[in-house]
Amino acid sequence: MEAAATAWWIWPLALFAVSFAIGIVAVLAGIGGGVLFVPIVAGFFPFHLDFVRAAGLLVALSGALSASPRLLQGGLASLPLGLPLALVGSITAIAGASLSFALPADALQAALGVTILAAVALMWRRPAGAAPSIRPDAISEALRLHGVFHDPASGQDTVWRAQRTPAGLAAFALIGFIAGMFGLGAGWANVPVLTLLMGVPLKLAVGTSGFILSVIDTAAAWVYLHRGAVLPMLVVPSIIGVMLGAKLGVRALARAPARIVRRAVLVLLLLAAFRALGRGFGLWT
Amino acid sequence: MDLIYARWIDAWSRLALAALVASFAAYVLGILDPLIPLERLPALWGLSAEQFVAQSGAPAGWGWLARLGQSDYLNFAGIALLATGTLAAYLRVLVWLAGRGERLFAALVLAQALVLVAAASGFALLH
Repeated sequence: MEAAATAWWIWPLALFAVSFAIGIVAVLAGIGGGVLFVPIVAGFFPFHLDFVRAAGLLVALSGALSASPRLLQGGLASLPLGLPLALVGSITAIAGASLSFALPADALQAALGVTILAAVALMWRRPAGAAPSIRPDAISEALRLHGVFHDPASGQDTVWRAQRTPAGLAAFALIGFIAGMFGLGAGWANVPVLTLLMGVPLKLAVGTSGFILSVIDTAAAWVYLHRGAVLPMLVVPSIIGVMLGAKLGVRALARAPARIVRRAVLVLLLLAAFRALGRGFGLWT
Repeated sequence: MDLIYARWIDAWSRLALAALVASFAAYVLGILDPLIPLERLPALWGLSAEQFVAQSGAPAGWGWLARLGQSDYLNFAGIALLATGTLAAYLRVLVWLAGRGERLFAALVLAQALVLVAAASGFALLH
């Protein structure tokens, strides 16, 4: 009621400002904007979770599409590595998105809260490097999931071979499902799976994660679009805000205390997770 | 393969974002009339998508195509472009792979393209 009495442009303007801030801190904290967007906007804005999830997917998608070309051209992402993982993830993303519309809003809020808590736990410690190499599996060999990664920063070449591919495919099935259901960007989950489970070098994992995310989010976005859950008044200010904020964030990266920003953002995410849990269990309206 | 994909995604997403910004400007500046008046939005955006469609008369599925003359649904052209960039780039890569006889990767790319076409077709609405 209160929201309905407010001038229509107040909330989109506030959404643009918050998205702009998300874009800045996402770069400084090294966290994808998509995973910040949904819990923060769902927690503190009057929009229904359906519209916020759709906007979150499109924010993550536009960010990934903008970054992917440079990463692929620079050899910092691998299409052959991402192809099978994105295929599995996009199928389950459609399933997750479709199922989400059959769930009661309270259950979805509670599940979002649990997912954000898991994401914060994963993000609290960044993966430091790839898992020690073990013998590659048959699928990895058949799909030629190997190569030489050239790190432009250090000038070093690293020979890599994906391992535990069946487990990696299963993990990406789960990641796709979660991304589709909650509209979250999935970089927070993609990178640990690629590095710690599959043994991919960290920088290659970060770059390839963006490509995978763009395919997964594209598949899920269509489900939201067909359901009538896409509101341009939420989507466009969010996309523009996050993209402009990210540009400013890149400029501020050299001067800002990135570690402190990262921890502060994770604490904010924790608050948003508890708020979603509170809403889900009827403790907070 | 990576470079072909990158070039297509780059061009496509730039086009999509330009379309999105232009159509949104037409929307908020009132250059075209929207289907749902802007003043009505705060009363609707707290509803679930299902209730929103029922109460506002908003189109679901591909119904937005018939509403492109209205500024709120003109935005869907940019959104749909954003959501078809990956498919377009995959199809271009598929042609390249087929020409080189890379059957395994071509099969993976074709499977992915079919999944994206299925998602875009709205088959998930059937339940």
